[in-house]
Amino acid sequence: MPIEQEQPSAKRLAGLPAWLAYSLLTILVWGAWGALSKVASANVDTNTNQIFFTVGLLPLIVAVLLKSKTLRAGQNRRAGIGWAFLTGILGGTGNLAFFQSLVIGGKAAIVIPATGLFPLVTVLLAAVFLHERLGNLQKVGVVLALAAIYLLSA
Amino acid sequence: METIPHPIPAWLIFTVIALVFWGVTGVTQKLSTNRISSALSFLWFAYAMVAISIVLALTVSIHWQTKPMTFLIAAAGGTLNGLGALTSFVALESGGKASVVISLISLFPLVTVAFAVIVLQERLTLTQTFGVVLAILAAILLSMEPKPATEMHVP
Repeated sequence: MPIEQEQPSAKRLAGLPAWLAYSLLTILVWGAWGALSKVASANVDTNTNQIFFTVGLLPLIVAVLLKSKTLRAGQNRRAGIGWAFLTGILGGTGNLAFFQSLVIGGKAAIVIPATGLFPLVTVLLAAVFLHERLGNLQKVGVVLALAAIYLLSA
Repeated sequence: METIPHPIPAWLIFTVIALVFWGVTGVTQKLSTNRISSALSFLWFAYAMVAISIVLALTVSIHWQTKPMTFLIAAAGGTLNGLGALTSFVALESGGKASVVISLISLFPLVTVAFAVIVLQERLTLTQTFGVVLAILAAILLSMEPKPATEMHVP
């Protein structure tokens, strides 16, 4: 895997290049989210879980509104906002299916790696609708993803 | 009566539905962040989540009488999920090459699997374990776009 050479002036965080530190933090918080989702699903139904999930997003909405300096940037903002809103609607619907899967007995150790294969759909749709080229490694990924889903369902 | 030898479990059907919906968001997110900043995109993504929750609260039965700890855990899930989206944006904006950052982030299920096996005592068959390894490998390979990407989205 080609690794970009770090810039001498690149920002560092906790002794690591900032991009690496934030990537590791992402792994940690998303991994914890998956685990917490399973724990919550044992005690709360799907719809209620989605509402509580959204309550958890509220502090981040406030933080982004207060801190972000790029909210007014961009061209064709109306379309961009429309796509973002649609992303939320689709993402929220996906959340409901995800929570339901956990509520009715899906194991976190299987459901999270399986749903983590969502780029399978993304790359295929991007190839069809956005005419993006599918790389050779991605083609291998598509095959492995399908095999993984089959094995996880065993 | 003839029985189906290996019926598809209901949880798997919902898992695939989630996978498909989240997969489509990969495209719509890209269409959004090609036009506006990742921060504004996140904001409207979150507004849509609020809209869904308001519709749910008005139309279906919600169990508000839950234990405070359950509420905290579920809400923390939302915070962590959104936080991950924001930290992934920052990782990309901090000079990380998209193919490396997104491939690295694809490892997040490992944390969940470790927690599920160690803390929740979930047990996997050998076949399922192999499936988990294959799934993570597949997610990494799928993230390796032939040309540099600049977007990340919420799982």
